[in-house]
Amino acid sequence: MIVIFLLIPLSIVIAICFLAAFIWAVRSGQYEDTCTPAMRLLLEEKKSTPPEPANEFPTKSEMK
Amino acid sequence: MNSNIETFKYDNRIVRAFAIATIIWGIVGFSAGLLIACQLFWPDLNLNLQFTTFGRLRPLHTNAVIFAFVGNGMFTGIYYSLQRLCKARMFSDFLSWANFWGWQAIIVGAAITLPLGLTTSKEYAELEWPIDIAITLVWVFFTINLIGTILKRREKHLYVAIWFYIATAITVALLHIVNSLEVPATAFKSYSIYAGVQDALVQWWYGHNAVAFFLTTPYLGLMYYFLPKAAERPVFSYRLSIIHFWALIFIYIWAGPHHLLYTALPDWAQSLGMVFSVMLIAPSWGGMLNGLLTLRGAWDRVRTEPMLKFMVVALTAYGMATLEGPVLAIKSVNSLSHYTDWTIAHVHTGALGWNGFLTFSMLYWLFPRLWNTKLYSVKLANWHFWIALLGMMFYVVPMYASGITQGLMWKQFTKEGFLQYPNFLETVLQIVPLYKLRALGGSLYIIGALLMVYNLWRTARAGKFEPETEAQAAVVAKPTHHAADDPWKHRWLEAKPLTLTVLAFVAVLIGGLIEMVPMFLVKENVPTITSVKPYTPLEVLGRDIYIREGCVGCHSQMVRPFRSETERYGEYSKAGEFVFEHPFLWGSKRTGPDLHRLGGKYPDAWHYNHMDDPRSTSPGSVMPRYPWLLTQTLETNSLPARLKALRKVGVPYPDGYEHGAAQKDLVKQANAIVIGLKVGAVENAMADKEIVALIAYLQRLGKDIKAAPAETTTTSETAL
Amino acid sequence: MALPKPVQSSNLNDSVTILATAGNVPEAALCFHCGTLCCGTRFALVDKFFCCQGCQTVYEILSANGLTDFYQLSATAGVRIAATVKSEQYQFLDAPTVREKLVDFSDAKLTRVTFHIPSIHCIACVWLLENLFRLKSGIGQTQVNFPRKEIALSFDLAQTKLSEVVTLLASLGYEPELKLSALEGKPKSTGPRRLWMQLGLAGFAFGNIMLFSISAYLGLDAFAGPGFRKMVGLISFLLATPVVIYSAAEYWKAAERSLRQKLLNIDVPIAAGVAAIYLQSCYEVFSGRGEGYFDSLCGLIFFLLCGRLFQQKTYDRLAFDRDYKSFFPLAVTRKERRSPARLDDAMTNLKSIGPEAGTPVEAQVSLAQLAVGDRLIIRNGELIPADSKLINGPALIDYSFVTGESEPVEKKADDYLYAGGRQVGSAIEVEMVKAVSQSYLTSLWNQDAFRKEKREWLNQITDTYSQRFTKIVITIAFGTAGFWALLNPALAVKSFTSVLIVACPCALALAAPFALGTAQRVLSRRNVYLKHPYVIETLAAVDSVVFDKTGTLTAAGAGSVTWMGAPASGQGVRLSETEERWLFSMTRHSTHPLPVRIGEAIQRDYFPEPVRSFLETPGCGMEGSVAGHEIWMGSAAWLATRNVFGLKLEGSVVHVAIDGRYRGGYVLASAVRPETERLASGLSTGCEVALLSGDNEKERGRFAAMFGPGTQLNFNQSPLDKLNFIKHRQDAGKTVMMVGDGLNDAGALRQADVGVAVVEKVGAFAPASDVILAADMVTRTAEVLRYAKQSVCVVRVAFWISAAYNLIGVAIAASGKLSPVVCAILMPVSSVTVVAFACGAATGLGRGLRGAEKTNLPPPNLQLQRAGLKPDVPIVMEAQS
Repeated sequence: MIVIFLLIPLSIVIAICFLAAFIWAVRSGQYEDTCTPAMRLLLEEKKSTPPEPANEFPTKSEMK
Repeated sequence: MNSNIETFKYDNRIVRAFAIATIIWGIVGFSAGLLIACQLFWPDLNLNLQFTTFGRLRPLHTNAVIFAFVGNGMFTGIYYSLQRLCKARMFSDFLSWANFWGWQAIIVGAAITLPLGLTTSKEYAELEWPIDIAITLVWVFFTINLIGTILKRREKHLYVAIWFYIATAITVALLHIVNSLEVPATAFKSYSIYAGVQDALVQWWYGHNAVAFFLTTPYLGLMYYFLPKAAERPVFSYRLSIIHFWALIFIYIWAGPHHLLYTALPDWAQSLGMVFSVMLIAPSWGGMLNGLLTLRGAWDRVRTEPMLKFMVVALTAYGMATLEGPVLAIKSVNSLSHYTDWTIAHVHTGALGWNGFLTFSMLYWLFPRLWNTKLYSVKLANWHFWIALLGMMFYVVPMYASGITQGLMWKQFTKEGFLQYPNFLETVLQIVPLYKLRALGGSLYIIGALLMVYNLWRTARAGKFEPETEAQAAVVAKPTHHAADDPWKHRWLEAKPLTLTVLAFVAVLIGGLIEMVPMFLVKENVPTITSVKPYTPLEVLGRDIYIREGCVGCHSQMVRPFRSETERYGEYSKAGEFVFEHPFLWGSKRTGPDLHRLGGKYPDAWHYNHMDDPRSTSPGSVMPRYPWLLTQTLETNSLPARLKALRKVGVPYPDGYEHGAAQKDLVKQANAIVIGLKVGAVENAMADKEIVALIAYLQRLGKDIKAAPAETTTTSETAL
Repeated sequence: MALPKPVQSSNLNDSVTILATAGNVPEAALCFHCGTLCCGTRFALVDKFFCCQGCQTVYEILSANGLTDFYQLSATAGVRIAATVKSEQYQFLDAPTVREKLVDFSDAKLTRVTFHIPSIHCIACVWLLENLFRLKSGIGQTQVNFPRKEIALSFDLAQTKLSEVVTLLASLGYEPELKLSALEGKPKSTGPRRLWMQLGLAGFAFGNIMLFSISAYLGLDAFAGPGFRKMVGLISFLLATPVVIYSAAEYWKAAERSLRQKLLNIDVPIAAGVAAIYLQSCYEVFSGRGEGYFDSLCGLIFFLLCGRLFQQKTYDRLAFDRDYKSFFPLAVTRKERRSPARLDDAMTNLKSIGPEAGTPVEAQVSLAQLAVGDRLIIRNGELIPADSKLINGPALIDYSFVTGESEPVEKKADDYLYAGGRQVGSAIEVEMVKAVSQSYLTSLWNQDAFRKEKREWLNQITDTYSQRFTKIVITIAFGTAGFWALLNPALAVKSFTSVLIVACPCALALAAPFALGTAQRVLSRRNVYLKHPYVIETLAAVDSVVFDKTGTLTAAGAGSVTWMGAPASGQGVRLSETEERWLFSMTRHSTHPLPVRIGEAIQRDYFPEPVRSFLETPGCGMEGSVAGHEIWMGSAAWLATRNVFGLKLEGSVVHVAIDGRYRGGYVLASAVRPETERLASGLSTGCEVALLSGDNEKERGRFAAMFGPGTQLNFNQSPLDKLNFIKHRQDAGKTVMMVGDGLNDAGALRQADVGVAVVEKVGAFAPASDVILAADMVTRTAEVLRYAKQSVCVVRVAFWISAAYNLIGVAIAASGKLSPVVCAILMPVSSVTVVAFACGAATGLGRGLRGAEKTNLPPPNLQLQRAGLKPDVPIVMEAQS
């Protein structure tokens, strides 16, 4: 079963790579906020319509 | 206007390309499946063509579904979502298209080579070495493109889906490479460097992780992206999704050995697989519940939105499969389920339910957006849903029934202690009706898929394709120096994913080499059951024909240590018997009986007639006819190359054996068999036909050990 | 998506026609931006109406930049714009001294700053704020942290000023919270991050090692070979070592600390256990005697860390250690010295923020820059930052938060104003007589008593138990060692370590965090927020409760509004519906707290009627004509100047005259929270109750009646008095809980064993405390205390459970039969059962509390009870702000 000596270390190496990734993620504050990203996902579709020069608005008018 | 806005374009063309490929290959894969499903109760459906036998089409079906349908589906989703999650176009359009065309080329390659019988016979890794190399290459393209995009992203946070994508890219590459280590003999023939038990272990380490990291992790990523989109509400608990990912990833890699319970695989490895599988329920169900709970409060939309319906069923199927998997990994259950249709039912819950439905859901969501229009017909989509669901039921339920029925029949003893159904064929005839039902289910599923094709085609025609979506983001300014706790401080650190990937591979390769050296040095491949000898040249060629025809798809070569099996087949299989098996041919399904102890069971003539027309020897058999074996001349030119390759991987053929000596032995043995055939009243047999080689191999099967004292086997293994 | 029609497509005259039609829209027209009722002056833009110019401006900005999707994202997207934002208002932020303190970091190209923005409330906010870069060049990426209501914003100083950025935010309705405390720089906590990493590492190692070892327990046949054992052992060792070093770090530190302090808290036996397991396992692996206990080891540490994580609950929106600095503004309006003449017309300008406001007459300056003698302008709702003399009044100062006086007090010119008071009504001008740091409140603060450092919450029960526990274990360990030394020396060492290994009090250590942590969560669901789970232990011990009156037992800003009709007048003492509606319409136009409260009180399904020629005279009253009727509302004195004389009424009154005829007056009194009697009765059993108030004696009778004779009632209490009162109780051996709200209670809150700060709105400012309590839970104090006691019992029971497990384990260990398998089973099983029990029980008991909470819903707002038929019975209306 010599091959087990190949597979286990391989698996461990992989697993350790993921551990490293995990540590990086936590270190760099990826998980500081575990709420907003989920909301942000829903916002990307929103395109912004071509801007219009503001001065073309009729000036606001008060009335009684 | 203002200088700090960056405008960029998402590439939709590549998404469209993959989406269309997904659909086409999906139909192909399903149809192949349907065809072979029908062949199981209608053997002549191969139209007496050697290219369309069950044995050759089964791998085509699995590859088409896994790598063509799901693979393209996965790329579709990733290429769409990744760009948007990273607020960046794909790293390189060239790589994108290299990935696309490369992948399609590989699939076409598979579709050509597999019917031609060019296969390694390792499940889900049947493709021969040139294609293996191509796969590696294309996968590297994909990985670079993925990491590159992640690095140039404009969004600091990596959404959980991206993590699933990364995991997929890295792991699949590693698995593929390790499992496909093989020594080429000819342009399209190679031998696995691992032998027997070890090959089995590696194969199923790969086999399961193929399921884990090709069919599951990327689709979980897609789920976490498309489900909230469709439900128009954030995922139930983002924190849970993060925990889900890491819990899964930390231990997922250990899957595999549970595919080999009660085989000659050592207990420790079997237990490992078992423990692992049970541990895995937690994260899997965490993910499923997270998905379903996302829909709480949106169930009214589930009624109206077909894509949500598909999503719900997909998640439920995922839950079912991930619960069933561990159950099947429990030894006692496995002893019943293994080699039966239960396994087939299990994988199809996953494939049809989880991957299929999720892909459909995604496509229904994508097309209207890519073509800037509404879905052509929601009604039709709903029809698709219900038909597909029905089809799935008609598929899975009969398979459970047949699996359990057959499993029980195999184990059934009479009061007197004899097998109740000593003739394997009885157990097959018993379940043929269920096979017919299954075919019905399959065809329903395809009809549903065709409805989708029409629906999407009309959708696309109605709308106008948007080749690129314009998007804007703020310019990411890089500070010249870093303050104490500036979130951007770690920007440089974000090169880590890349560094990690690179390091991972370097480490793995070095580690791999270090680990492999002893494997070749250690005199482990020396026969440990003294009586076990390498195959003769004729047998080698016969075995290669056995592989070519995909016999392993229906016949196992692994007698498990149960009385029911030893009664039926003879002495149970020992690890030591397989030391020259490159690759191993244990198989995973017994549509026909196990063949490990076939040698000497029947006269040569029986085999000759049986291969010519199975029903002539065993009435009602569902095995296809192989008349061409009787007529085709055995190709012997490549014999030296094959023997050399085998010697390379450790089969102790004497040096120079392949020059001359081998051919002599071959002819000698062939003539002997022809004589044997003549005795059996087969007059027109000729020594240079393929059938002769095959018979030679079949008659050799499982014989060596009979000469050997049993106890040596135990010592053999401890010595490893 | 259905964007509102681009406006430029409608040329001027059709927009005019639309505007014309806009005049006769139903009164009910809702503001397109913030959705509030548009009344009085209404602003219109093509087909949309706005309640105020601010809201219209936001809409203009958004649509001009194509961000009108904002309104589709959420129905309640828009935030009401309180007042039009002037850019000068934030200029003080550009002063380097201020800016450098505010920003997270800054360099030539990029400046990053984090703001807390209370008005972030929905997904649309996230979207708009993260698209801020579209609205102003120079603004880079913005990132919203929704739960914390924070925005991290990067901009380029070369292109835009900090003040401009803030102005933009404010003009969109996202005014950042700019308090004095902002200058102190934020304390950054990497604690949770570290914990997460330790946990991740432990979990990783645990999962992987377990895979090997469990498989190994199930049989090793072909692998029985030495090579394999060694590999498994080595890998386990490699995986476990970082766990022991890094993940268990806290335990090493803690153990070391407590040993130096010569006390055996729970960390000592844990550390001992971990060490024992680790060393024993290493020995076994390297001596080739087995695979060791690495799986149990990692599992143990993993569970312990889970416990830690669980007890580390923090509330994003709450801060438990705030002082006056987070109550004081960052800047105030300073009036540059000018000739008296200019000064006066500046004053007249102040009410309506006219163009003159931009002139250098006044400027925003940060508190740091204020000096004695400065003239400050304090607008409605603004805070007086330093003791000062009122120059230009009249002023109406609300001291409720500082001194506990319930009603705003009238001040005339030259009166002395204490820092911390809030001006209500129109703007006033004051002159500083003391520096901010010397002022009444701040000096109060700087007394040692007030700066008593926050106590560190210790887990007393666990420690007391672990003391005995540890002693017992050690004795057993040595006992067995000795025993075997005599009988079978070979077993001596093994049994000794085995005992230590098994007895490692994982379960014991988990009981308290999970039980109390769960309790903490249960309470937080009822709007009772604990600073730390272990506060519960102290809560359970409380036997003396001290209440502040104003804002605690009496709801701040809420109160009964009573109409006292004038018998003399013709139409009868009660107001007709029509009359009431007129008055309501009037109140809609005032910012003064009294009319506002009246308005809330009398409002029913009224639509406000348009009010013509409305005029509010600060400190006097307001006049206007509704439906052709001249209405005056204001002080008796003011009406007197118009020869209208009415009833003599006590307390704060708003007299009303219609068409010059006196109708009566609204009397406003502070309201005691509902169910206060229940509270009193609930507490009276088992612990003493006291009531302290900075207010005058006028309500003594009322409370004496409620709390009964046993209760001590002290009025006119200065913050220091309160503090000393608490001290005194503690000296009498009592465990004191102080329930208060204002800064005037801050000292007492800190002094008390448990300081409970009451807030009307969760997330609003509360002085330093251990518990933050939503106002409507005050009357539930008794239940909360009972629940605390129950939770502590849960912990005790959990201890006994884990003790039982340990007993079994120790028995096995002492007999020298301990094997990795036993360990691997015993440890998780005991931990899991204890955790399950702790959480389950605490939640279950919490149910009882919920039942209580349901009945406790605040009375429906603005319940209007019609008076009885007797004409002299006043109409009483309960109003809750």
